Amino acid sequence: MKKLNFLVIALFLGITFQMNAQTAEEVVASYFENTGGVDNWKKLTGVKMYAEVNQGMIIPIEITQLKGGKQMTVINFQGKEIKQGVFDGETLWSHNFMTQKAEKSDKENTDNAKLAINDFPDPFLNYKTSGYTVELMGSETIDGADTFKIKLVKKPLTVDGKLEDNITFYYFDKENFVPIAVHNEIKSGPMKGQMSEIKMSDYQEIEGLFFPFSMSQGLKGQAGQAISIKKIELNPKVDEKAFLFPEETPATPSGN
Amino acid sequence: MKKLLILIPCLLVLFTFESKGQEEKGIAAGEIFGDLRARHIGPALMSGRINDMEVHPTNPRIIYAGTAGGGVWKSNDAGTTFNPIFDDYCQSIGAVTVDPTNPDNVIYVGTGETWTRNSVSVGDGMYKSVDGGANWTKIGFEKSERISNIIVNPKNSNEIYVAVLGALWSDSEERGVYKTTDGGTTWNKILYVNPKTGCADFTMDPTNPSILYASMWEFRRTGWSFDSGGLNSALYKSTDAGKTWNKIHTGFPEGKLGRLAIAVAPSNPNILYTVIEAESDVKKGLYRSDDAGKSWNQLNNDFGITVRPFYFSKIVVDPKNPDIVVKGGLSGSISKDGGKTFKNLGNMHSDIHDIIFDIKDSDRMYVGTDGGVYRSWNQGTTMEIVENLPLSQFYHVSVDNATPYNVYGGLQDNGSWYGPSSSAGGIEARDWNPIGGGDGFRVLKHPTKNIIYSEMQGAENVWRYDVDNKLIKTIQPLPQKGYPKLRFNWNAPMAISKHQPDRFYMGSQFLHKSEDMGNTWQIISPDLTTNDKSKQQQEGSGGLSADNSGAENHTTIFTIAESTLDQNIIWVGTDDGNVQVTQNGGKTWVNTSLNIAGLPKNTWVYHIDASVHHKGTAYAVFEGHTTGDMKPYTYKTTDFGKTWKNIISTDVVGFVRNIQEDFVNPDLLFLGTEFGLYVTIDGGKQWSKFTNNMPSVAVHFIEIQEQTNDLVLATHGRGIIIIDDISPLRDVTSATMEKALHFFASKPTVMVDQNEFAGSFGTETQFVGQNPTKAFQLKYLLPKRHTFGKMTLEIKDMAGNLISEISPGKAKGINIVNWNYSIKQPKVAKGKTFSFGGFTSPRVPAGSYKAIITKGKDTFEHQFELVYDKSSKLNDEERKFKYTTIMKMYDMTQELAYLVYELDEIILNVPVANKKLLASLNSLKETLVITTGDNYVGSAEPQLREKMTDLFSKLSNSYDKPSNSELESLDIIVERFEKAKSDFEVLKKKSKLTSLKIKTFEEFIKE
Repeated sequence: MKKLNFLVIALFLGITFQMNAQTAEEVVASYFENTGGVDNWKKLTGVKMYAEVNQGMIIPIEITQLKGGKQMTVINFQGKEIKQGVFDGETLWSHNFMTQKAEKSDKENTDNAKLAINDFPDPFLNYKTSGYTVELMGSETIDGADTFKIKLVKKPLTVDGKLEDNITFYYFDKENFVPIAVHNEIKSGPMKGQMSEIKMSDYQEIEGLFFPFSMSQGLKGQAGQAISIKKIELNPKVDEKAFLFPEETPATPSGN
Repeated sequence: MKKLLILIPCLLVLFTFESKGQEEKGIAAGEIFGDLRARHIGPALMSGRINDMEVHPTNPRIIYAGTAGGGVWKSNDAGTTFNPIFDDYCQSIGAVTVDPTNPDNVIYVGTGETWTRNSVSVGDGMYKSVDGGANWTKIGFEKSERISNIIVNPKNSNEIYVAVLGALWSDSEERGVYKTTDGGTTWNKILYVNPKTGCADFTMDPTNPSILYASMWEFRRTGWSFDSGGLNSALYKSTDAGKTWNKIHTGFPEGKLGRLAIAVAPSNPNILYTVIEAESDVKKGLYRSDDAGKSWNQLNNDFGITVRPFYFSKIVVDPKNPDIVVKGGLSGSISKDGGKTFKNLGNMHSDIHDIIFDIKDSDRMYVGTDGGVYRSWNQGTTMEIVENLPLSQFYHVSVDNATPYNVYGGLQDNGSWYGPSSSAGGIEARDWNPIGGGDGFRVLKHPTKNIIYSEMQGAENVWRYDVDNKLIKTIQPLPQKGYPKLRFNWNAPMAISKHQPDRFYMGSQFLHKSEDMGNTWQIISPDLTTNDKSKQQQEGSGGLSADNSGAENHTTIFTIAESTLDQNIIWVGTDDGNVQVTQNGGKTWVNTSLNIAGLPKNTWVYHIDASVHHKGTAYAVFEGHTTGDMKPYTYKTTDFGKTWKNIISTDVVGFVRNIQEDFVNPDLLFLGTEFGLYVTIDGGKQWSKFTNNMPSVAVHFIEIQEQTNDLVLATHGRGIIIIDDISPLRDVTSATMEKALHFFASKPTVMVDQNEFAGSFGTETQFVGQNPTKAFQLKYLLPKRHTFGKMTLEIKDMAGNLISEISPGKAKGINIVNWNYSIKQPKVAKGKTFSFGGFTSPRVPAGSYKAIITKGKDTFEHQFELVYDKSSKLNDEERKFKYTTIMKMYDMTQELAYLVYELDEIILNVPVANKKLLASLNSLKETLVITTGDNYVGSAEPQLREKMTDLFSKLSNSYDKPSNSELESLDIIVERFEKAKSDFEVLKKKSKLTSLKIKTFEEFIKE
């Protein structure tokens, strides 16, 4: 009997939960509640992800993101580390594949990166204090799953000298309130105007927080490139120097 | 956390309830399409018809093209390239407008093409985007059919005018000019004449939003006639924001008027231009007013101004100079003297529908034609085509059995073409071959010979092209003694036979059969149409401007299908509603359409598909849009047409043009409608719209390529679209859906050795069609999307050795995962630069493999086969030798990597004082890997690593077995490596670092 009662109550709760989740705020709140709680997310100071991309050739990558906006992606080719998208809060830089030397990103990209320094670990966590807005656009089916479509508007980006709205669409699974897809209009370069798509799955728990361990990245409507996450380290110890642009370019990049 | 754990089981319970509920009503295919995805192959080289062009009022880089059948496209780079922004909605566009006060975000789209040719599609209302085109909401006008203009008051975003041309083939009261003052919540009809007269053109005084001009046009098209003009056509002006309207006809010709264009000079709003279609040819042409419409003077009635008003009635004035006027037309014309004289625009595709000027520099123009968008940098003198607009409007598609197979089809005003379904580097413009001129329609490949049949409008020419010998012959049926004049449809049907390769059919009002590829013809039927003489008066068609192009030919045969099961069974459908069948090769015919309940009489038979499963079974689709009937009609007979059963469900939106039965599963059917592709897996009880990368475009014809199981679609506005291998749909049942995971059968996959050179020259701004994959594809069905917990996919050999790990698909429904039949690339010695040869992943040998999916605690296993490509002609022994040689080099590469690792560790640990040993170690290293330079032109001399991996890569990437020369090169490398190993052993001993703790070889490789 007890078991049955529990089930009935749970079912009821489940239904109520779904019925009530009608505003963007509630969807976002449920997301954090279901993935570890807002307080625990706020305590997070950094994340280091060990991942693999299979493009015929298997490429190991490490992605580090820290509170305050520091981030980098390290790709390991034949024992050599190539850093991409490194940001120390001020300078955005990457290694050139030909020379393996560090080169700065253009000013506009760097300025746009600065707009997102408070987005760690998730732009929804402090969206109000960041001055972002959220809006529930309705329901949509993604991969056969019903989702809430949430529009997140962040601070405008500068693109080719002009301010442009910075809009991202998140699709939260109605069953468990985690995002399973993200759409973002590509704002610059030859792909400008096309919609990028990231899909997420394999949510797993790490020290009480849930992260997607599988992602695929590409253009909306097309098959994406899979990224498989092997391990996630929370609050990693990272030498802050690793984010700094190496002004005196060494003969070989770090890692040698 | 606990909350989540509680939630998950209870949600699972919920899901179980839901799936039980679904079982009763069957499976909607729409839920399970998953990774089945449309692939667009264009072509874009001839592009397609454009209806409306629009500029952004402040940013000259942003341009919109509203197309006749391919949706709305936006350019962010001043017309260099365009992206589609309206794929989920009706693709026939009348008008695109941005809100002048919020032009980055607010866009309005009025659907329904307004250049009312015979093949024009229909719209379904008006849409609004508030985010620059990312999302759209329909805001009304569902029955408008075609919207000609939308104008937002530049001083008040809530005040919007919508000009509705309205229904083309029927009376409709949803026409005229509408206005909202509350941003579109409520609309008032502010100008209306009658159910046959719509607003063809509409404009606003740029300096005074209360001054409006509207041209009203009385018009009607039927399947067999067109009528432009009447006493109700008129040009109106309002000076009080649409409250009152007055005709402004002072100086206009007397009598009936036809389609009128109206334009206000942006730099001087007193100067107006109108183009008038009138009763008298002398009075037709361009009129100008210099007093804001109080009076008009005729300036010009040249051919370029008066030609085909229903198609070209568009006049545009330079934003800076009121005397520079451009007129749409067969070639398009420009005047620089205020409309007195004109010259043609530069060479481009004919049939010019709209022109826009760059907002900052009037030398720059954009022109919308029947063949896409053109740019000009010199005021229209020379024109260059936009190369990435795949808007081709196919009427038909067929396929052959080549590898890769080719697709064949004809296009509106753009001839006929064939091209490959796959090509090195993607399907480029240069891959397509013309195969007929004029308007192209049906194109068929001879079943066994390299001969192609194609045609132009009304079967004026039917061509037989001998591809190998480059010989072209016209073979259309000619008048025969004792028979009346032949009536061919604009889109005349042709058919070939599965039974007799040289047999060729054509349909006029009779069925014509040739047994010698069109050299001689025999009529094998009586007149199969209604032969209604009242529908055969095309000389009088056009109204005020005669328009007897042949496009209105009626009471003709439109579709022919010889049964693949019995050559004596032939089905014929006519444009006036007859479904005729013979079971004795044409000796006797039965008109079966009389037995179809619920179908209005004389509804056009658009396609008949004779079943490949049963002789008496056929599918017939009917469409009545040329009578204003937009309902879907699809019927199935199993008794040679004695009875017909309706197989349309309420899920289908839009009239139907084609149906295709699957050749394996008779319950799997594909339906081409005016608004997209629908699929049923239960014989038509439920239909689902296919939306995975598939726009809501009109699908005119569907084929299945039988070797690949690819679904090939002729779209009328987005070119050829392919859905690769639809075979998984055959195996979706409630039983397979109930399984936790169901693998679909996989055919042995050929590990392709064939390769080609591919250059991307010129494709930077060109549309390039997507290729299918050559990889092995694992296909499986999931009953629910996998979102929580680990799910992995491993490939193992039959002995259980792990070969590869791949990310599995997680979608509900069909998942498709590609594997390139390779193992991980070898671990390569670390040097200063990359060894590019070392990035090679060698292929596995042919044979059986297992795919193992682990999902939570469950594992699912599927065995599949890989086979060698026969084209490289290697025998088993040679394959084996090639594989062992490559793997020998793979192992050697990893061995060297470990040696260099050991060497580096020793270098790190040898005391600095031991300079001699360090120097020896370093000089050994310098012979093993590159220690200086970069990855480009600063690269150093290649060392052992580079030589080894380059040869490894050379052998791996070759279709062939290792040559003697390659083996000799391998010997040299082996010798050098052996020497390096013994040199290293000597130095290692000298270092005396016996207690140095380093990784084992296995640890090193796995890290």
